[in-house]
Amino acid sequence: MTGSVDALDPVRAELLRTARASADAVRDRARADAAETLRAARATAEELLARARDLGTAQGVADAERERVRAVQDAWAAELVVRAEVYAELACAVREGVRRALAEGAVSQARLAEAARALLGAGARVTAAGGGGVTAEVPGRRVDLSADALADRALNRLGARAETLWAPQ
Amino acid sequence: MSGTVSVEYTGVRELRGPLVIVEGVSGVGWDEFATIVLDSGERRHGLVLEVNRDLAVVQVLEGTAGMDRTGTGIAFAGTPLRIPVGSGWLGRVCNGRGEPADDGPPVLGGTDAPVAGVPINPVRREPPNEPVLTGVGAVDVLTTLVRGQKLPVFSVAGLPHLELAVQIAAQATCGGEPFAVVFAGMGLTHADAAFVRDGLAARSAARELALLVNTADDPVIERLLTPRLALTVAEHLAFTQGRHVLVVMTDMTAYSEALREVSAARGEIPARRAYPGYLYSDLASLYERCGRIKGRPGSVTVLPVLTMPAGDITHPVPDLTGYITEGQVVLSPDVHSTGTYPPVDPLASLSRLMRKGAGPGRTRADHPAVAAQLTAALARSRQVRELADLIGRPALSPTDLRFLDLDDAFRHRFLTQRTDENRSLDEALGRAWEVLLTLPRSQLGMIPADLLDAHTPPRGEEPT
Repeated sequence: MTGSVDALDPVRAELLRTARASADAVRDRARADAAETLRAARATAEELLARARDLGTAQGVADAERERVRAVQDAWAAELVVRAEVYAELACAVREGVRRALAEGAVSQARLAEAARALLGAGARVTAAGGGGVTAEVPGRRVDLSADALADRALNRLGARAETLWAPQ
Repeated sequence: MSGTVSVEYTGVRELRGPLVIVEGVSGVGWDEFATIVLDSGERRHGLVLEVNRDLAVVQVLEGTAGMDRTGTGIAFAGTPLRIPVGSGWLGRVCNGRGEPADDGPPVLGGTDAPVAGVPINPVRREPPNEPVLTGVGAVDVLTTLVRGQKLPVFSVAGLPHLELAVQIAAQATCGGEPFAVVFAGMGLTHADAAFVRDGLAARSAARELALLVNTADDPVIERLLTPRLALTVAEHLAFTQGRHVLVVMTDMTAYSEALREVSAARGEIPARRAYPGYLYSDLASLYERCGRIKGRPGSVTVLPVLTMPAGDITHPVPDLTGYITEGQVVLSPDVHSTGTYPPVDPLASLSRLMRKGAGPGRTRADHPAVAAQLTAALARSRQVRELADLIGRPALSPTDLRFLDLDDAFRHRFLTQRTDENRSLDEALGRAWEVLLTLPRSQLGMIPADLLDAHTPPRGEEPT
């Protein structure tokens, strides 16, 4: 009877070998699959990383450019405000200067009155203006030769020369 | 704006709306510039609308609110309005009469010029050539804007013409040569004015832009001055300082309505749709200020934008504009309804001077042929669409079906563009080729064979 038991050994051994070989093959395939999945995942991750890096770089460049443009705009707006302040100071200084000059008699009230009468006629009523200079009036017409009006006209005539306040020559 | 002493007339007879009627004046002419001095010392500005014997009617630019008949004096300049000109305008934002709206000082200039302008002597005109590239593919490829040209945009209320005008003003260049933009907004709502300011802020900060904005609630007489101010500034920047200047004027319909209002105030006999009979010559006096002058550097190119009331292209404003200008870019509600920006109707649009600004040495050797072929193909596409409506799509030939699909390809691959996308001419032409190559080579007969060979995919990959 023991002979019959021995006779099954090769079958058992073969079944065992086949099972082991199959298991090995399945394991190898699983390993290969795992390696492939890992490789694909790494490639995808690298690709995503590269794309994210590119997008981030582009976004960063765009943001930096936007910031730069905004900074230039803010700087220009601030410069304009300062220029306006400087120009207003100049206007004040010119008015002050003309008032002082008239007060010191650089142009006499009589000469201003004469100029006003030349424009309006001899019958014009001439009045001294506060701050210096004169105003003159006839019914329906008037002339303003006050210190402030003269100063404003002088400033207007200055034109682009006033830009020397902020632009080097 | 003059610095000389002038007599102030104080006989104000009446204040009516924005008008001041002053008596006892002498030697005052039409369109003369006036300074109105209030009792408080405040100064306003105006233009003479009408003179009759010793009476003058002055329209006050700032309005007559707060003015009193007594104590108001009006000084006449003796000339129409003059403004300082020079590069001091670049980077500035002003209202429609040129006063700063950007918290800056008054705009100063080394010299001044009359805003009414001086027409260019026709004999001294140099024909326009060389392109102004706008960065908008549909305009650059199909209706190329040429330096010295006047090319209007015809639009309809509700279409994004302001977006297109701002995009062009923000992106336009002249191939690296000195360039500037003068943008004149007329009758803009406050929201639109803010949109324009924001859209052009970068160009303004780069000191390449002068922006004049007349809003819808500003006096109408100011609206008549705004485009003239813009052109006066542009002429000096161009012909004295040697820049190529693009003047964008929007909306010319609002301008024309202001002209109608002022004409009615003057008691003139109304003509078509109550516009004054001189609407044509008035528009021409603006549009004809563009161009190039022999022996002088620089150019003035004008891009007026106008809205056609109820989409009516026979309305006096587009009708008369079309007589004067050299082509048009037409925006279409149908294209807009497909969600396409810019909604340019390529078959209704035309730049009559395009041949002078496109081609070898100017843009690209293949440009004129590609533009002509694309327009022809779109025309055929429209015919095929009409045919398909009659006989049904299944009855069309395979070639006809290709043309039917071309329209979609044109809209999606060529026409559509973001409002902040500055598309290079090379890219725009590349997209035009892409659209054309959806057709079989046999249908591209307007393109020379060598150009086709250079752009056609290798045999076997070509659509059959």
